[in-house]
Amino acid sequence: MKRLLPILFLFLFFEKNFSQNIIFSKDTFDYFEMSLEQLMSMKAHGVPSELEELINSLILAASKRPLTARESPGIVTLITQEEIRNSGARDLIDILRLVPGIDFGVDVEGVVGIGTRGLWAHEGKMLVLVDGQEMNELLFATNQFGNHFAIEQIKKIEVIRGPGSAIYGGFAEYGVINIITKTASDFSGVVLAGTYGQMESAMGRRNFNLSAGKQKKDFQFSLGAFFGNANRSDQNFSDFDSSSYNMAGNSNLNSTNINVGMSFKGFSARWIMDLYQTTTRDSYDKNEPVAYPLNFKSHFTEIKYAAILGKKKNLTLTPKINIKSQTPWQTLSDFDTIIQDYSKATQRYSGNITASYNLTRKINFVAGAEVYKDRAVDQVDSSFFSNGKKEVSYFNQACFLQALAKTRFVNFILGARYDIHSEYGSAFVPRVGFTKKFKKFHFKALYSNAFRAPSIENINLKDSTGMKPELTQVMELEAGYQITRKSLLTANFFDIITKDPIVYYYDDSLKTDNYRNFGGAGSRGVEVEYRMRDKWGYFIFNYSNYTVAGKEKIADYKIPGNESMLLAFPTHKANLNASIKAGKYFSISPTLSYIGERYGYTGVDTAGYSVAEKFPSLLLANLFVNTANYVKGLTIGIGCYDILDSKYTFIQPYNGYHAPLPGPSREIIVKIIYEVKAKKMKKEK
Amino acid sequence: MNILVKYILASGLFLMIFMGKTERVFSQDADYKAYTLFLYNFMKYIEWPNTEGDFVIGVVGDSPIKQELTTLSENKKAKGRKIVVKIILTSEDALSCNMVYIPSSKSSMLKSIFEKTKTKPILIVGEREGLAKKGAAISFVVDDDDALKFDLNKSVMESQSLKVANLLLQLAILVG
Repeated sequence: MKRLLPILFLFLFFEKNFSQNIIFSKDTFDYFEMSLEQLMSMKAHGVPSELEELINSLILAASKRPLTARESPGIVTLITQEEIRNSGARDLIDILRLVPGIDFGVDVEGVVGIGTRGLWAHEGKMLVLVDGQEMNELLFATNQFGNHFAIEQIKKIEVIRGPGSAIYGGFAEYGVINIITKTASDFSGVVLAGTYGQMESAMGRRNFNLSAGKQKKDFQFSLGAFFGNANRSDQNFSDFDSSSYNMAGNSNLNSTNINVGMSFKGFSARWIMDLYQTTTRDSYDKNEPVAYPLNFKSHFTEIKYAAILGKKKNLTLTPKINIKSQTPWQTLSDFDTIIQDYSKATQRYSGNITASYNLTRKINFVAGAEVYKDRAVDQVDSSFFSNGKKEVSYFNQACFLQALAKTRFVNFILGARYDIHSEYGSAFVPRVGFTKKFKKFHFKALYSNAFRAPSIENINLKDSTGMKPELTQVMELEAGYQITRKSLLTANFFDIITKDPIVYYYDDSLKTDNYRNFGGAGSRGVEVEYRMRDKWGYFIFNYSNYTVAGKEKIADYKIPGNESMLLAFPTHKANLNASIKAGKYFSISPTLSYIGERYGYTGVDTAGYSVAEKFPSLLLANLFVNTANYVKGLTIGIGCYDILDSKYTFIQPYNGYHAPLPGPSREIIVKIIYEVKAKKMKKEK
Repeated sequence: MNILVKYILASGLFLMIFMGKTERVFSQDADYKAYTLFLYNFMKYIEWPNTEGDFVIGVVGDSPIKQELTTLSENKKAKGRKIVVKIILTSEDALSCNMVYIPSSKSSMLKSIFEKTKTKPILIVGEREGLAKKGAAISFVVDDDDALKFDLNKSVMESQSLKVANLLLQLAILVG
């Protein structure tokens, strides 16, 4: 605790001495002589402060219509590229860990997945979008974290901490992470970035990123290329049988990601190739003699046209076509003596047409239809789907509607999505929301239904009870108060009830993997965030809490003798994310994550039952120092992650016989970014 | 709860209080400088049939914009005419003005003021969005990104013999 004091005092010193020097300077010129054109850039509420610029920036993900963060019908966290760069974040785990309620756990074969609000959201409950492309793989609907996504390319991340199914369908049951990368309108030229990380006893990561963008009149082109090589950890991993190995060299995370986008007027196209490979020895429940690779290969293609129609240009019609081709969780035949071959190629072909109609400036309708076909082929000779065939295919059709009305008293949103799937039937998810900002105060009252669409393997491995979508009801209330021009306090309450969750189980008698709908799940809790932002930098503090008392009915997720929390996820979590500009070129950015007590299974007793163990609370303290443009276009950063050497471990959020997986030890990070045409870089927001 | 969490929470609370005391200006209130600049440009780009005497701006009731308009009147003229700002309380009072500004809180006065002035060259400007569809010649609009714009009802202005310069029309959102 004492180690925190210098950081806080440093912060207070800077705040006291520099914050009041910022002067509202509009009186310094003869503004009466402004031209009409200049006048049209006037803001109704004056020159916004740094904080107001952020909280008034428009969020698209929560409603498909841009609304400010404070009025958007969702509980939203907006993460800017400035915050990402300042913090020295190594990967998306470091970025998302600072979001209230989000934490991580280990699944199987060393794959790390995401949880939110105390609930394991790894399989199909959290949608990750990169430039509109759904990253979730189609076999189990998971996302894989750990030196995976190209964070140097990110312009901003909109995290919707609540359900998004009414807009996005069956992978957005508990939340949406909408990653938007930089386009040629954000930078023109070439940006090179390199990262090296050194853990206590092994290389942490070696990453290289190249971004290029070119804009000429209405034509834009951008390219992002990311090549990463990392070790998940340099610690020893011990399985339930106390068999141990060192993860350095046995937990490689290799990533190649190419993202190409272009647009011309209303037409746009994007192609993303994402090749992610993990290396693991921990397998499902016990260590293997040697490490083997696990591949996640994805290709995404999108072609889209946005036509603005009508005399008043109040109708936008956007047809789009997407093709997603993946081979996730693939194990190679070279290692078939260790692990069973698994190679299933999937494709999703989807067509979507969305109409957005502004009846008036204050009333907007969004309506659309979507169809997709999923196809999977088992590429292993001796393996078949449960229908006895090498190939399965499914068809889904959906329609969605949303009405948004902004009135003087309240903003009102009503929406719904209806899906019909050829295998598991239908899902209907309505939502209603009220939001409003009254000067310094704002509130949100949201009620949403959401669903999780059974994935291809959920359907394939269903038992005799069949398979249907799991349904969730979420109530969220948020209140916010802008304490000063530079600071905002928000607090929200959530209540989640999930019916008929899709749960994995292993049938001992038949020796088969199975999925079925049973039990119930959910959580309730609060999230509080305080943001302060000014010319000197920013300070973000948040705290989140959850309980599952009376909600969780699945034994494998529960902690024996503890009714209020679930495996892997702490009931108390707090984050601090600060950055202080020190002079013209330097910034000092401390980030802290306090992770409360957690529980996880660590072994079995003599009778063969899993034994849960308490993991004490820990503090992840990080510090990153950046120097930007001391040499024109060059940014050099150095820092240390996990200064206190707390050694975070990823706990399995269910009783799956996988021991907690060590994360990285204390890691020294060096980042170098060189912007070849820095002059044309736009101001980062 | 762990003592560390309490410590961090307490520090956060302290900072909030600390910051609250150092702040004086809130931009969440409307910036009436911006509104005044628009009014000044309306004077420049709209032609009144009568060009004699002072240019009188009537502000309905009490509004912070009066202070800004007074600053304007001390520094600028409306096409050579002295600008006079006064508070008006009734629709009768509007008849002695060239321009009437109706603050949001006095929007209900529009109907009676419009009835009195609809055939007279008196420009009614409403602060609240939508008033240009209900009788005001101009009303302000605040976009989602906080940009200040304005609706303009051309037929109302024509009936009041007010001529609008094309440059202003190009920037206006035409309604009515």
